[in-house]
Parts: sequence; C-alpha cells; structure tokens
Amino acid sequence: MATPSELPVAESLQGHYAGVVSRLAALAADLGLIWGLYLLAAAAVNVAVQLISGKTFDLTSHRAASAGALVLWGFVYFTYQWTLSGKTVGMAVLGLRVVQADGSSVRGRQAVVRTLVLGISLLFFIPVGIAMVIQRERRALHDLAAHTAVVYSWDARAARLRWLARQDPAASAAPLDASTPPAA
Amino acid sequence: MSPRRVPGGLDRLPQMIAEQVVNLVMEAIDINAIVAKVDVDALIQKVDVNGIIERVDVNDVVQRVDVDDILQRVDINALMARVDVNALVANMDIDALLEQTELGSIIARSTTGVFTEVLDVIRAQGVGLDGFVARWTNRVLRRKPSSIPLGPPLLVAPRAPAATAATPALEVGS
Repeated sequence: MATPSELPVAESLQGHYAGVVSRLAALAADLGLIWGLYLLAAAAVNVAVQLISGKTFDLTSHRAASAGALVLWGFVYFTYQWTLSGKTVGMAVLGLRVVQADGSSVRGRQAVVRTLVLGISLLFFIPVGIAMVIQRERRALHDLAAHTAVVYSWDARAARLRWLARQDPAASAAPLDASTPPAA
Repeated sequence: MSPRRVPGGLDRLPQMIAEQVVNLVMEAIDINAIVAKVDVDALIQKVDVNGIIERVDVNDVVQRVDVDDILQRVDINALMARVDVNALVANMDIDALLEQTELGSIIARSTTGVFTEVLDVIRAQGVGLDGFVARWTNRVLRRKPSSIPLGPPLLVAPRAPAATAATPALEVGS
C-alpha cells in the first residue's frame, strides 16, 4: 500500500501533462478491456449462431470479419468515451483525461481523428513512444494530429484526505497544505 | 302559572313582574328561526375588519402572552407522535439536498473505501514512475525542467520564475 510520501507527491499535478508510464498503463488497460469484451461478444455470437442454425460457428475463424469487428469495436470504444467525457475506462482508472491543446474539453471530431491516428501510433509503437517521452508536453502522434493533450485529472487532494482518514481519523481534520513538500 | 308569594315589600314587585314577562317572551320566541333569517355574510361584509385590526395593538397582545407557560402545557411527545415522519421524508428530494452539501461526496468516498484506496495507490505509483522517467529524460537530454510547460494554459497557470527553480515539473522521488 502507499507510503505517506507517495500520495502528497501528486498533490499539485492535477491539470499537468500526464507522464508516459501512466499513459501506457491506461492504454494497456483499454486494449485489454477491448479484447476481453470482444471475446465475450464473439462467444455470444457463436452461441447465438449455433442455436439458430444448428451448425458449429466460430467468428474468429473468419479472419476478415473478426478483424473488422474488432477494429470497429475499438473505434467506437475510444471515440465514444473521449467524446463523452474525455476519458476511457483505462484512463479513468489511472486518473487521466484527454483535453484540447489549450485545456478545454475535447470535441467529437477531435476524438475521431485521435482514434484514427491512434491506430497508426500503435503500428509504430516504439518510435512513437520514444518521441512522446522526448516531446516537452508528452504529446504522442495522435495528440499532435488531433490537437489534444493528456493531463492528470484525479483529485490527489481528496486522495490524500482519504489516505489520512485511513491512517489516523484525527489527522484528516488538520488543515491541508498543498505546498507541503513530499518526504524524501 | 301559579301565583307566587311576594317576599319582601311592594318595592320589588315591578322587578318580579319584569322578570316574569321576560321569561314569557323568551319562551315564546323561536331563536333558531330568527338566527336562520339573519344573513350572516351580509353582516360580516358590513364589518370593517381592517379598522378593528388597526385598533388592536398586536405588540401589546403578544407581550401579554406567556409563551413559556404555553410551551410547558404542550405535550411535545404527543405532538411528535402525530407527525408522520415517513410521509415527510418521502416528500423530500433527498438527492437534491445531498447535491447541495458535502455529504454526498463524503458518503460516496466512505462507501467505496477499498476501491478508492486501490485506485489511489495505482495512480500514485503511476505518477511516481512518470516523474522518474521525466527526470531521467531531462537529464539525458540536458534539458532544464523549468523550461518544460506544466500543462495546458487553461488548466495550469504559467509558472513564476522564482518558483520554477524550487519546484520543477515532475521532479519528485519515486
């Protein structure tokens, strides 16, 4: 579990450009979720077709159809969630949010462009990842194409309160000092 | 009517006759019939209620009222027993009430304790590793952390020159 020095670290990072590790972890979570839900849906389709036609059916054996369905599902997954709230499930877990380059809420067209270019970023994962690490605002290829950025959105202040409440209820009543430096 | 003996003198005779006459008249009158003929609404309309109220010194009346004495007579428990609290609460928009207070967020935070604890730890670890990578990237590229923007201009105010040296971006231990 967290040490006292870990939670205050992020106290003042809300709205800052998100780092590479958090972004990659969120992307991995999203890809895993997309794949898992796709497998569940494919299994449901297989069972439904078998019940209706009486023949054995496996969607994954139809490579073109299954790949098309997976790409379409991934497109809908990212575009819908970014348009709706600026964050996917994976990003919500990691406390990240997509915003426009100036910090305002992302628009539908930007979400579409970002999703399309994300596919290219995934194809060239390593060079795009290295470029993102070097880039000053840690914006990846799809961010630059869609004029977006990824920022920390989780309320670290509330997280610290929760952590203090778990450790010592009396301590949570003490006034918070956002400028308190983290312990070394 | 039987004749009555007159106690006292003749000086009380007129009084007694008057009483007898009044009793006879009262018995003969049908009060209900008379009251039924009275147009109460018309009577009330003729009354200048505002004029009467203006004459009343309400402050003086209120000062005369012994509120403590009245309250002592009130059986609060019996009063409360008559109140249907369930019906009262059913009419309240609790959600709207909670939205206007910090109570909603407090309840939400307390009821999702384990989940939020795990999330907090994951996020804190992620931020720590982000800082680690950013620090080494800046070191390899010989880049000053103070030269790197913290965030989008609408979300993060531009850093002050004096503060940048003390708190560089993501320069945190991991």
